[in-house]
Amino acid sequence: MKKTLVSLLVVVGLFFNFGPAFGKTIKIGLLCPLTGSWASEGQDMEKIVTLLADELNAKGGLLGSEVEIVVEDDGGDPRTAALAAQRLSAQDIVGVIGTYGSSVTEATQAIFDEAKIIQIANGSTAIRLTEKGLKYFFRTSPRDDEQGRVAANYLTGKGFKRIAILHDNTTYAKGLADETKSLLEKKGANIVFYDALTPGERDYSAILTNLKAANPDVVFFTGYYPEAGLLLRQKKEMGWNVPFIGGDATNNPDLVKIAGKDAAEGFMFLSPPVPQDLDSKEAKDFLAAYKKKYGDLPGSVWAVLSGDGFLALTTAIKATKSTDSDVLADYLHNKLKDMPGLTGKISFDSKGDRVGDLYRIYKVDANGNFVLQ
Amino acid sequence: MELFIQQLTNGLAIGGIYALIALGYTMVYGVMKLINFAHGDLFSIGAYLGLTLLLSLGLVDKIGVLGGILLLMLMVMGLVGIIGIILERVAYRPLRKADRLSAVVSALGASIFFANSLMLIYGAKFRVYPHNILPKMAVDILGMKIPLIRILLLLASFILMTALYLFVQKTKTGTAIRAAAIDQGAAKLMGINVNKIISIVFFIGPALGGAAGIMVGLYYGQINFLMGWLYGLKAFIAAVIGGIGNIPGAMLGGIILGVVESLGAAYVSFAWKDAIAFLVLIIILIVRPTGILGERVAEKV
Amino acid sequence: MNRKRIIDIIIILVLACAPLFLNTYWVDVLNNIGIYAILALSLNFILGHTGLFHMGHAAFYAIGAYTTAILNTMYHIPIIWLMPLSGVLAGIFGYLVARPIIHLRGDYLLIVTIGIVEIVRIALVNNIFGITGGSNGIFGISRPKLWGFVIRRPQDFFYYIWIFLGISVYLFYRLENSRFGRALNYIKEDDLAAEGSGVDSSGYKLKAFIIGAIWAGFVGNIYASKMTIISPESFSFWESVILFVIVILGGSGSMRGIILGSFLIIGLPELFRQFASARMLIFGAAMVVMMIFRPQGIIPPKPRTYNLDFLKLGEAEK
Repeated sequence: MKKTLVSLLVVVGLFFNFGPAFGKTIKIGLLCPLTGSWASEGQDMEKIVTLLADELNAKGGLLGSEVEIVVEDDGGDPRTAALAAQRLSAQDIVGVIGTYGSSVTEATQAIFDEAKIIQIANGSTAIRLTEKGLKYFFRTSPRDDEQGRVAANYLTGKGFKRIAILHDNTTYAKGLADETKSLLEKKGANIVFYDALTPGERDYSAILTNLKAANPDVVFFTGYYPEAGLLLRQKKEMGWNVPFIGGDATNNPDLVKIAGKDAAEGFMFLSPPVPQDLDSKEAKDFLAAYKKKYGDLPGSVWAVLSGDGFLALTTAIKATKSTDSDVLADYLHNKLKDMPGLTGKISFDSKGDRVGDLYRIYKVDANGNFVLQ
Repeated sequence: MELFIQQLTNGLAIGGIYALIALGYTMVYGVMKLINFAHGDLFSIGAYLGLTLLLSLGLVDKIGVLGGILLLMLMVMGLVGIIGIILERVAYRPLRKADRLSAVVSALGASIFFANSLMLIYGAKFRVYPHNILPKMAVDILGMKIPLIRILLLLASFILMTALYLFVQKTKTGTAIRAAAIDQGAAKLMGINVNKIISIVFFIGPALGGAAGIMVGLYYGQINFLMGWLYGLKAFIAAVIGGIGNIPGAMLGGIILGVVESLGAAYVSFAWKDAIAFLVLIIILIVRPTGILGERVAEKV
Repeated sequence: MNRKRIIDIIIILVLACAPLFLNTYWVDVLNNIGIYAILALSLNFILGHTGLFHMGHAAFYAIGAYTTAILNTMYHIPIIWLMPLSGVLAGIFGYLVARPIIHLRGDYLLIVTIGIVEIVRIALVNNIFGITGGSNGIFGISRPKLWGFVIRRPQDFFYYIWIFLGISVYLFYRLENSRFGRALNYIKEDDLAAEGSGVDSSGYKLKAFIIGAIWAGFVGNIYASKMTIISPESFSFWESVILFVIVILGGSGSMRGIILGSFLIIGLPELFRQFASARMLIFGAAMVVMMIFRPQGIIPPKPRTYNLDFLKLGEAEK
């Protein structure tokens, strides 16, 4: 029992050691999945936000003080995320950027709202997140209904009659698939296939075989790039030529690496623009700095959206000369107009959703580049 | 009917991989009565090591596709086997006399450790094997185009499995393995070095897992640090369906699981695929409580 | 009052005052530890006392949480009233799934219970009966209300959860030391001998399963009202593995050990946060090391002792 007592004391001691430290800095939290299945996204988010913070500090920081990024791992799981959010709220932060998955973000919303901390999510597209009337919640990513609308319009506009929809049963992909399906049905399109694959597997030939048997004109896949890459690769192997269209979760250069250039050629996807497509100075500077520091280009568009969240928050702090959440929320809702970000112009509406037509259509060319249509 | 046969071949290809990983589970279980939850991660390690060696040594360019891949596979099997032996020494041997479940927890800890060390070494991003290493030919069977690689994959699995079966049944070491599986104490009295046998088993099992890893990498291309967990779980199910501890059982279980998955998905629902596979498993176990071929048939030989 | 009892009291007192000197984050960590401790104690009944290899406990936890979430959001039934119902439904579900598989031995039972938790998760993801909300889960679950007091802040939940844990410990202690508990231990040690001495082993195993499931259902109710949103990923196979690890690592059959195990398994990843993306690597290594140094668990249960003072020589001869 002595041992137990000693270890208890050690634990209690650690509690105090880990308590908040106060300094003359402006703290901004970053909630992202550093471990677990979305670790690659979270690690990209950390790279992007710390890069932007370093740049800001090199230019003299914010309101005369340094910006400090407090990174917490949400593990890609709601329970861990809720703890991480509690931990961030206890650290005297001005706002928090993140996080990625919708259900993970949702688990943290109430905590930040109660603590009156601005939260700018980057990858959480579920509609209901901004339908709760939370004053301090924003997101730089578009919503599922927006993408669903664009997808349905594009698919019917191109004259596709027999449409197959494939998702992967994750919150995001299912949401988008449902949204698109109901819109397409209203437009009278024929949905010949609607089912989910199991993400994380390697062999999708079974589902491709059934898809082929359904004889669609086009396949709309709403899941993520690792599975999309495998689907394209195995589709090519089967010798099946059908146009494949993906949602913005497929917007990642690794898609082409996984599928191979010949299999990826002709694949199309919907996505907000990535910095590579933008002419703005902000986007170009960011890309140059990122390449210089990390040696490659940022991955998915969602990680880049966390950078936009950081820019929006710091712009608000600069403009209002305040770190008060109410002032900042008011600024972000009403006064921030067309701020040049990494993915285009950024403004928020009264719900905290990003305003504007974001979606573009991309096509993969023979060299594996994403070409804006 | 064409759909059915097509899905059957899909199932066979997946099942072949499951079977190969299941063999490692079954061998370790047979001798140690231990569910080695880290086995799936040894499979991932095989896939990653294969990628590193493939890119750094350039064997395929130097000595041709077939020889290059064969040599690569042997190297990976050797390396993963050694990791297996170390794993047993460090994480399982101290627990041999303890409660069986203690070793299971140790295995789970090792699994977390392996997966996260892969993430820290290779990064969290998906890694990709170079394309166009394997020939992209297709064979016509009954009027259907089946990629040659799938057939080779299944063939390679079968060759490895048969070799293992013959090794365990026909050689002296194999006999010692079977003896240790039945009764370690008695085996010791017969002059068998049980520690050595366990090391051999922990070399062969992970080596087969590593071979499966490199095969998955070469064929499917995309690998990830977490993939071992899912493959490991599936392989465990396969081993149990066939009768855990039983080598032909693992082969049979793997093939059955692969076929059930693809047919169940194709004719019922893709979204419910894994649930169907588990349901079939539960029904098989209710009807035959020790798997289809029963536990450790080897012991009755 | 022996030393053990004194230490227990000190720990209880320290815990009771914990919210006064800890910040919200650490209080919430303690809440998580408490939730897992209760779940692990309920699993302990099945795994630790009866020796059934059960790696699917999250399934019962899920049934409890979803029962609460669905009835609360659809019919606005107060959370507290739903607690017994969540337990009962989880218990009925436990009975239905355990009935056909209870005769399976060791590892076969293990894989079947894994199958059950996966089937439940897949059913939840696929929005079975159209009421589970699919992978989105269910949101807007209300907070528990006790005598007009709404339990909302982590500090409130701390007392709610830890008092429930205390009650569970007391009840499980009574059960452990009853005829029923002894029968379960007998089955664990030797199934056949127990059967031979007239213990209905299948019946007792089934009862242990149902009790464990009911308790997990209660915890599901607490969890749902604490998070106010639940989704299937919180009830995955991995959660069952965590519970399994807590029981074995803490010391299967020992309540002190299991509570300490919850502190380690849920608390350590939080303490390791400073290692950022390496934290789970260190956690995995720590699991192996702890197991090697304490193969029977950190605090293994003491063998049963009986006080024989009342047996006087003369009486024994009669």
